Amino acid sequence: MTAVPGLGAPPAARGGTKAAAVRHKPRSVLGYWRLYLAISPFYLLFLCFGLIPVGYSLYLSFHRWDGLGTMEYAGLSQYRYLLGDAQFWHSLTNTLTIWAMATLPMLFLALVTAVMLNSAVRFKNLYRFAYFLPNVTSVVAVAIIFSSVFSTNFGLANAVLQGLGLDQVAWLNSAWGIKIAIAMLMTWQWTGYNALIFLAGLQTIPTELYEAARVDGAGPVQTFFRVTVPMMRPIILFALIVSTVTGLQSFTEPQVLLANTNNTSTFAGGPGNSGQTMVLYFFQQSFDNNDFGYGAAIAWGIFLVVALFSIINWRLVQRKDA
Amino acid sequence: MHLSRRGLLRAGLATTAVATLGGTTAGCSVPSGSTGRDMTLWYWTGGLSDKVVADARTRFTGVSLKPAQIGGYFKSKLMTTMAGRSYVPDITGLKGEDMASYLPNAGQFVDLRTLGAERLKSQYLPWKWAEGCAPDGRVVGFPIDTGPVAHYYMPAVFDRAGLPTDPADVAREMNTWDAYLDAGERLKRKVRGAYLLIDALTVYQYMLAQSTKRYVDKERHFIGDGEHVRRAWGTAIEAYQRGLCSKYQSGTPDSNAAMEKGLLPSQLGASWAAGDLKLTVPKTSGEWRVAAMPGGAANNGGSFLAITKYCREPEQAFDIIAWLLNPANQARGFTDATLFPSTPASYRLKAMRAPDPFFGGQTTIDVFGPAAQKIPVAYHSPYDYALDQVVSDELRNVNALDKNPARAWKDAMSKCRRIAEHMGVLI
Repeated sequence: MTAVPGLGAPPAARGGTKAAAVRHKPRSVLGYWRLYLAISPFYLLFLCFGLIPVGYSLYLSFHRWDGLGTMEYAGLSQYRYLLGDAQFWHSLTNTLTIWAMATLPMLFLALVTAVMLNSAVRFKNLYRFAYFLPNVTSVVAVAIIFSSVFSTNFGLANAVLQGLGLDQVAWLNSAWGIKIAIAMLMTWQWTGYNALIFLAGLQTIPTELYEAARVDGAGPVQTFFRVTVPMMRPIILFALIVSTVTGLQSFTEPQVLLANTNNTSTFAGGPGNSGQTMVLYFFQQSFDNNDFGYGAAIAWGIFLVVALFSIINWRLVQRKDA
Repeated sequence: MHLSRRGLLRAGLATTAVATLGGTTAGCSVPSGSTGRDMTLWYWTGGLSDKVVADARTRFTGVSLKPAQIGGYFKSKLMTTMAGRSYVPDITGLKGEDMASYLPNAGQFVDLRTLGAERLKSQYLPWKWAEGCAPDGRVVGFPIDTGPVAHYYMPAVFDRAGLPTDPADVAREMNTWDAYLDAGERLKRKVRGAYLLIDALTVYQYMLAQSTKRYVDKERHFIGDGEHVRRAWGTAIEAYQRGLCSKYQSGTPDSNAAMEKGLLPSQLGASWAAGDLKLTVPKTSGEWRVAAMPGGAANNGGSFLAITKYCREPEQAFDIIAWLLNPANQARGFTDATLFPSTPASYRLKAMRAPDPFFGGQTTIDVFGPAAQKIPVAYHSPYDYALDQVVSDELRNVNALDKNPARAWKDAMSKCRRIAEHMGVLI
């Protein structure tokens, strides 16, 4: 962290010549205590609600704990159990599948939306507002609406299919239907958000490039793929990273969407656990089964997966810069 | 207003200091929900009769009773609060299905025997009382309600299928699971699109609830592959293979519409399911009746009140609990919130004998009352919850995704053994 010039220097140093000598001495961290104190609320809160729980969960993952009783040291057994837990791997596959099904179309749609928003002449702000609205709507409310959209006999989705002369699909009752429903919910919710980020990026592309393309005889589609997409690469990568981190931690969408479809457990992720994401599985194990030690181990498993994907993404960005 | 850098810095410091101080004072001044004068009572919406709770507030003036309806996932909120050891309620509701998870930590609650609970024991259903006790005999939970399971059915649809319509006849002619499934076969043949059962899970759950054993016995041995589980699983699979189970998911618009159309004319459900039925299909009022369920009596749900060890005035708390849950107030709980009393004395009270127009003027207590008294004392281990999840999930895979039943059973058992071993159950 670098201090802003002027603000970084202590008030006394600015005024008199006496302090000039002090300025050349390397200043210790403690010399800036006022500044650190001023920004401390964030760090204190982060310490309380971020760092300490993170450290504690690591400690927890080496123990057995039902939440109230005494903790028992369990060594690496929770992690060993995790490696052999088919349901964890299944939840990982579910998460990745849903993530891919949601993120790829979402980013494409967002880019197209952004290009259209960029060229819109009238009601510009109205469109922007409308596209952003799904993102600030409560996921719970959205999921409840989606669960009726995808209901078998009375859902909008099946009404459309029937209108097209196709068969009904038991969306929330089949392995792929569940994933499609969750992915569509996520796409619907995040397209507008990413479109706004892309829009900001689009406005930094010099208009000369488009003029040159037009002079060379490029059509709108060609311009989009040959000029817009390459110029937007860093921004697309940023959106991809953010979507990866959020997408790999999806919880609310499957939880609310599939809560009704279960008699026994609201965290099973529907028939065949087809909609059980990693975080949902983590929640089920810790807060439903009160197996907090194992829950913590799952959480660290999720951390490793997210870290791995972040590294891959980061490498992609690095290659671009080189 | 002009704000200098220095002024800004000072303002920032002041804010931080205030925030820090504020944080510490807020954290320390009220270490637990109990201050001696206040008595907090946690329950969930519909967990107690609100009217009875309101009366208790005016009746017990020695303390100030502060009832709070906790929304969301009750068990996890209570457990995390207790683990945090602050703002713990003095009196709390414990859901019946979670009871086995609390009992290993019975020390977190006051042993109600020390407050004279034994002298009230005879007023309550023995099996219910046993469910609130820890293995070492501590009385943790004081019985609120019970959930005797009954057979809700639509006589008009049964009539079209040539099935009996009078509650007594239905109970007699469908007294076994086999007879019940046979009736389902008739129903399927005579009424187009109708199903006896919403899913196979219903059969499995209630057959298991009729047994005195579940997945783990008192000596911590895994018995999830025992005869009682196999029989329940087998009957559920039979119902599925005979095509008696729908693919509706309960609680969805699809299943609600099917119920309204009379395509799910038979519903096995606990006493409190009557309330759900009235809420989801109000248009069918008068078209339902209640009869005894096939295969004997079973319980599903029903809760308890407990006093946490953080309570500073346990005697007062116990007086409140004992009053809230005495036979007269339990009868009021039934009228206000469909809480079926755990006190048999309530069953004879006038409030409970009122004919119910939703059930065509039937006096439903004549079905629920005897059922509640016939429920067997069963052992629930703290491991049952996780194991039941696995078996139910596999059965759901069969019912909803048409997974091969033999394969599902094998998968369920291998997962169960693995989880049981992980939890320290003896295989």
